[in-house]
Order: sequence, then C-alpha cells, then structure tokens
Amino acid sequence: MTTPTSVRKRVADAAAPAPVPAGRRPERGARRRRVGLRLVALAALLALWQLVIVLQLWSPVLVPSPAAVWRALLETSGTHDGVRGYQGHTLIEHLGISLRRIFIGAGAGVVAGLVVGVLMGTLPWVRVVLEPAVAFLRTLPPLAYFSLLIIWFGIDEAPKLWLLAIAAMPPVAVATASAVASAPTALVEAARAIGARRGQVVTSVVLPSALPEILVGVRLAFGIAYSSVVAAETVNGLPGIGGLIRDAQRYNQSDTVVLGLFAIGISGLLIDAGLRVLSDRLAPWRRHA
Amino acid sequence: MPSLPDTAKAPVPEQRKGGPVVSVRDVEHTYGGRGRGAESVTALGPVSLEIPAGEFLVLVGPSGCGKSTLLRLIAGFERASSGEVEVFGERPEPGNQAGIVFQQPRLFPWRTVGDNVGLALKYAGVPRPERAERTAELLERVGLADTAGRRIWQISGGQQQRVAIARALAGGKRLLLLDEPFAALDALTRERLQEDLRTVSAETGTTSVFVTHSVDEAVFLGTRTVVLSARPGRVALDIPIGLPRTGTGPDELRGLPEYAALRAEIGTAVRDAAR
Repeated sequence: MTTPTSVRKRVADAAAPAPVPAGRRPERGARRRRVGLRLVALAALLALWQLVIVLQLWSPVLVPSPAAVWRALLETSGTHDGVRGYQGHTLIEHLGISLRRIFIGAGAGVVAGLVVGVLMGTLPWVRVVLEPAVAFLRTLPPLAYFSLLIIWFGIDEAPKLWLLAIAAMPPVAVATASAVASAPTALVEAARAIGARRGQVVTSVVLPSALPEILVGVRLAFGIAYSSVVAAETVNGLPGIGGLIRDAQRYNQSDTVVLGLFAIGISGLLIDAGLRVLSDRLAPWRRHA
Repeated sequence: MPSLPDTAKAPVPEQRKGGPVVSVRDVEHTYGGRGRGAESVTALGPVSLEIPAGEFLVLVGPSGCGKSTLLRLIAGFERASSGEVEVFGERPEPGNQAGIVFQQPRLFPWRTVGDNVGLALKYAGVPRPERAERTAELLERVGLADTAGRRIWQISGGQQQRVAIARALAGGKRLLLLDEPFAALDALTRERLQEDLRTVSAETGTTSVFVTHSVDEAVFLGTRTVVLSARPGRVALDIPIGLPRTGTGPDELRGLPEYAALRAEIGTAVRDAAR
C-alpha cells in the first residue's frame, strides 16, 4: 500500500513541521545576566563577612574569618605537622564517606519507595493499609528513630544507612503512588486501543507518565537524606562530614564547622543540579507538554 | 478424542459469514444513578444499527446526543446498559476488533513518532525484525515518510493526528473507529486530512465509523450518514451517500448538485434533532 502521489505531494509542501526552536538560544542572554547577578551577590556577601571580621563585632571564636575558614580548608586537605587532614582523614575523604552513606542508604530508600509507591498506586487496598504508615514515618524527625536504630543495629554503618533509607523512602513512595494513580486515562485508553494487556498498560503508559513526578520525589528524597546525614553521624560519625562538624564543635573550632557546612551545602547543590539534569534527560517531554 | 455432542460446540455466529461488521440492537446507555438519590441520565437509545462490511458510516448529531458514547460502546470501552453490541459477531473489547482514532492524537510523548507506531505493531503481534519496515510503510501511507525519528513535540498537530491514524491502522483491523478526529485542527489542516482519509478509505475499503458534528464532513467522507437526535440519542435520519468515491477532486465533489442537496437534507435533520 502506498500513498497516492496527490496525497504525498500535498503533504510534502503543506504539512511541513513547525520550525523547531534551536535549543534555548534566546534565553542565553538572560541566563548569563542571572549568573552574573548571583556572582555579584556572592562577592557582596563575602565582603560583608570580611567587614564584620575587620570591625571585630564578634569574637573570632563565634564568627571565624574567611581567612580562617580557608586555612581550615588547607589544613584538612593535606598533611600538616604530621597530622593528616582532620582526625586522620582529609576533607574530601570525610565528604566522600558521607556521600557514600547517602548514596547507599538513600538509594535503598528510593528503591523501596518505588516498590511501595507502585503497589499503593495500583492496588487500592494497599494504599488504604500503607498510606497512614508512610505518612507517620514522614512526620518523624530522623534523629528520633535513630536512637531505636542504634539499639537494634549498634553504632557502626548499619544504623546510619537505615536512617538514611527510612528518611528517603516516604517522599518517593508518596510521589510514585500519586503519579501512578493519576495516570492519564486518555493515554491508558490509547494503549488499550492498540491491544495492550493490563501489565503492558503499566509498562507502556503508567510508569513512563509517572516518571517525571517520581524523579521529583527522588530529588526530594536525596535532599532529605542530605539534611539527615549530620544526624546519622552524631554517633560514631568519624570519618564523615557530619562527624567532623560534631567533633569540631566540641573543641570550639568554628572555622572547621563553617568549612563543613560549606562542604555539605556545595556538594548538595551539585547533586541536586545533577539530578535535575538527569530528570530532564530521562523525561524530555516534560518541558514540551 | 471423543466426539462431543453438537450442541457443545460454539455455533458459528451468522455475522461471521457475510453478516454485518457491527450490529447494534436496542442499545440504551445510562450514566450515573448508582448511588443513593443519584439521578441517572440516559445518554443514548434505544438505538439499532447494522453496519455492513466496506461501509463508511458517519454519525452526526448535536452535542450531547450520545454519538461518542455509541462509538465507545462499539469500541468496547463501555458496556451498554441494555441491548447488545456485536462486532464481527463478538462482544467488543478495546484492541481486539477495531483500530481507534480519538479526538486528540493521544500519542505517547516518551516515544518517537516511529516508536508510537511500532508499539501498536508489537501489541498486534508483529515480530520485531519486521516492525521498522512496517512502521515506515504505515507512516508513508498517512503522508509522513521520514518522520519516524522525530519526537512528538517536534511535529504539528495535524501531523500528530496522522501518526494517530497510522497507529490505528497498524493493528491491521478490518474496522476503524474515529471519534471527531479532526475537530481540534485548524480548517486548512482539517480539509487536507479529510481528503487524505477519503482517499485511503476508498483504496482500502476498510469499514469505518466516524463521529462528527460537522454536516459537511459527513457528506464528504461517508457512504452513509446516521443523524442522532438530542439526548437521549436516537436515529433521526439514516441516509446513504451515493457520491463517487474515486476519480473526483474535492472541489469538484463539493460542487455537485447532489452534494448540496445531501448537505441541506442532513443539515435540516441535525437542526431538527437538536430541538
């Protein structure tokens, strides 16, 4: 079967596609201006910080100078006077160990949240049973159940990973359940119209349409895991960035504490940006809906 | 194997052998009314209709007359409250007997143009090695050669509806159901798609049921038009369209005196039905 030439010709000259906008060119200028503004704001903040130090408004123990934080960075990044980094580990190592905990713990929590969410979204009785449990877990501050985890699992890696997994699970479960339950009827019908069976409707429509929302849940989960890592490292947290902050606090080393805050904040921003890029890659249709 | 008594074998329905493709008998459809105090609305019926093979039936009627409901009953998305719907002698199930085109393209945005068609081929049981070639054939048939690699948002609304038609044709069904497929398109695109659908339909002879509220579309596309009255929808007019299917250009066709007469008659029936 071929198209009649009349049809083909007409289509060729008439139904030409709307020109596809090339990238996001027009936005580029605005973007550059935004980045510039942010850099200026950052510089202003640093200047203000330095000004506070120069005016000696507070004791340097309370507010460490930028130079002191910089020194702390150098000291914790190499070996000085025979001492390697902070308590035997460099800053990057402390951070790496915490990140590893986050990825393993929150990763497990994300997988569990996906499974629970899909079950809740597809089987109404599972939702009825599990919804209050997930909501309950979500309201608990991680530090509250950490005590129980320590009684159960001791003070090594296990309770830390469990804490992060439990903290990361609810947002993914909630996002997945709501996205799966609200799969667009129009597309579900379209899949049935081409002969999709029940399981095929789930794989061909329900999960892909839920993906963007699930990824938002994953970002949220990593955010929560990030803010919980310091809690997870309050007990036997060294090496680890949260442990570093706790330990430095005991000796009033505010410069090292501030350094730890920067390390967590900056790496958290980078990871969130990475997840955002990933979700744009995995669900490009979202921006065109 | 011991021979079973004759009565145990499923009798071959009459419809299988040269009977109508679609058979609608005393069908009524009611929405709501299940809860306490909830009022039920009869959207359709009773309607009886037989659609023989090769016919292009257009259902016309005012908004809310139940024409889309009737199409959804034939597609198997809904079950009639009373009466019987049979397609090829069977109870209709979505994806089993008919290809379906909706008012919106309803393409899957996470798949490319070609993969949207390819998925329909997969569910129709076409083995993987053959799918690429069949996809290209189908896309060419709806005038979209070389678009297989595009994303859905990179093609126009008219092209999306063409892909939806290709997807509906992919199953190789002998019945095509179309629910106001061109209603959301601009006038120019709509005319082009009407002309192309008329050509493809005349070539393949696929039995089709097409729902619209446009009288002109009914006369232009159909070999038969059924006008439904306002809620609850009943057959108000059932008229054959005896216009030439091939060899006549669209403008020439619209210029025929019979065309104008049919348009006038159906238009009057639709207006009366709306009262």
